[in-house]
Amino acid sequence: MTPSSLLPRLKIHCEAIDKTFIQKGHVEVPVIKDINLDVAENEFLVVLGPGQCGKSTLLRIIAGLETPDAGYVLLDGQPVTGPGPDRGLVFQGYMLFAWRTVLGNVEMGLKLRNVPRRERHAVARRYIKLVGLEGFEKYYPHQLSGGMKQRTGIARAYANSPDVMLLDEPFGQLDAQTRMFMQHETIRIWEQEKRTVVFVTNNIDEALFLADRVILMEGKLPGRIKKEYVVDLPRPRDHGHPDLLRLREAISEEIALVL
Amino acid sequence: MSRAIANETVGISGGREGFSFYRCITNTWFLYCVSLSVFFLVWDRVAAWRIFGDSLAQPLVVLDKLYELTQIRFAGTNLGGHIWASTRRVLIGFSLASAIAVPLGLCMALNRYTNAVVKPVFDLFKPMPPIAWVSISILWFGVGEFSKIFIIAIGTFVPCLLNSYNGVRLVEPELYDVIRVLGGKRKDEIIEVCFPASFPAIFAGLQISLSVAWTCLLAAELMNARDGMGFLIKRGMDTYQPALVLGGMILIALMAWLSSLAITLIERRLCPWKTGIENL
Repeated sequence: MTPSSLLPRLKIHCEAIDKTFIQKGHVEVPVIKDINLDVAENEFLVVLGPGQCGKSTLLRIIAGLETPDAGYVLLDGQPVTGPGPDRGLVFQGYMLFAWRTVLGNVEMGLKLRNVPRRERHAVARRYIKLVGLEGFEKYYPHQLSGGMKQRTGIARAYANSPDVMLLDEPFGQLDAQTRMFMQHETIRIWEQEKRTVVFVTNNIDEALFLADRVILMEGKLPGRIKKEYVVDLPRPRDHGHPDLLRLREAISEEIALVL
Repeated sequence: MSRAIANETVGISGGREGFSFYRCITNTWFLYCVSLSVFFLVWDRVAAWRIFGDSLAQPLVVLDKLYELTQIRFAGTNLGGHIWASTRRVLIGFSLASAIAVPLGLCMALNRYTNAVVKPVFDLFKPMPPIAWVSISILWFGVGEFSKIFIIAIGTFVPCLLNSYNGVRLVEPELYDVIRVLGGKRKDEIIEVCFPASFPAIFAGLQISLSVAWTCLLAAELMNARDGMGFLIKRGMDTYQPALVLGGMILIALMAWLSSLAITLIERRLCPWKTGIENL
């Protein structure tokens, strides 16, 4: 399903993005440099790179939480000037509201837009069910396991009905087994509720399991796009599939070169 | 018992085990009772054997003294009157100061101009022990009620303000991003994140303030008072009645404990998400 073969609609367009952070007042640290990126509608794009390569910054720029020093982001042809409910963000550290229940967390976006209580409860319940947390509506975040917290985070982003889902290493804090399970869940949820997804990770297997297309970032600052891989395999995928292993090898070699 | 989805589990409650001698003597409540009984027994014996001469009263004598005070009028009022006189001062001083300090602390944390104006003056007064205000407040306001309430308010003010200020300052900044991504404005960030996230810190501040308030009250009443629990202690000292001194001390501790318990209960009601931290 390469973008060119089906000519899907262009959803996100990043044009020559640069971002430099200023540390301790005057030291300039270039974080990302000259990023050009197109994401098609309903594409599952994974940005793969080691820690500290600017991939989270790229995601925050698309989310509108950071402004690029140069270049711009277009969403449906419109320039991004700030965060908005058309883009849902899932955080690495869950970032749930500890003082709200699962239901309260999931319905927050709707509450901020003054959706009537009855209606927002209905929507929130639907997404709580979608992520498989039915029966946990009244639980507070501290009563949940890591995977369940991130399910809540995903439901919260989904309940706001965004066109684009941005996930920033969402399973980085989970143990390997839960992580693998959550990857299956991600695909299940995505196939039920198709969205344009930009998923940031540092894990090759995760990238290959999930992605339509993998963007490999340079392993040092400033982050640049190193290479792009199309993963044209049916889902659900098997981690041991020969084509997947071949891609994995190719990417590993590339990463070894990067380091 | 637990609820689970796939390989993720959440424990709900522990099972009950049968009765055994070992479990009984390792039961926390049992050990609490043992600890308290030993304490009172040692106190009673030390007093009875007159190790400190006449200056330590037996626990039952202290209780008897307190009971006696409920029956007679002592310095114009009975025991209830004295307790109320003190409690009223603490309540007024504490409520006034916290009603100003908590919002002021929040404003300082949220608005850097307010912070820039208030902080330097506040930092000047911060390290001063509140009891240092006792003499000056008597000079300013005389020996009446107001000078006592003033000292309590001063003592309450500092920890209240510091805690609400720090409570807001220590909020995880990414939580504000969540609100912004969900489509919220600055107003929503403050209402949905800032206030609830700083609640536990504010309550911690109120607890500290309350104990400072009782300390200040005692200082004020020991200096100069015609009623109140501090007055009882002072009178007990002047007339050499250790039972009265100890009785006053116990009453103050009891009232301080009760008021702190009230705050804990309100906090539990308002912050049900907070996992309980066991108090010592």
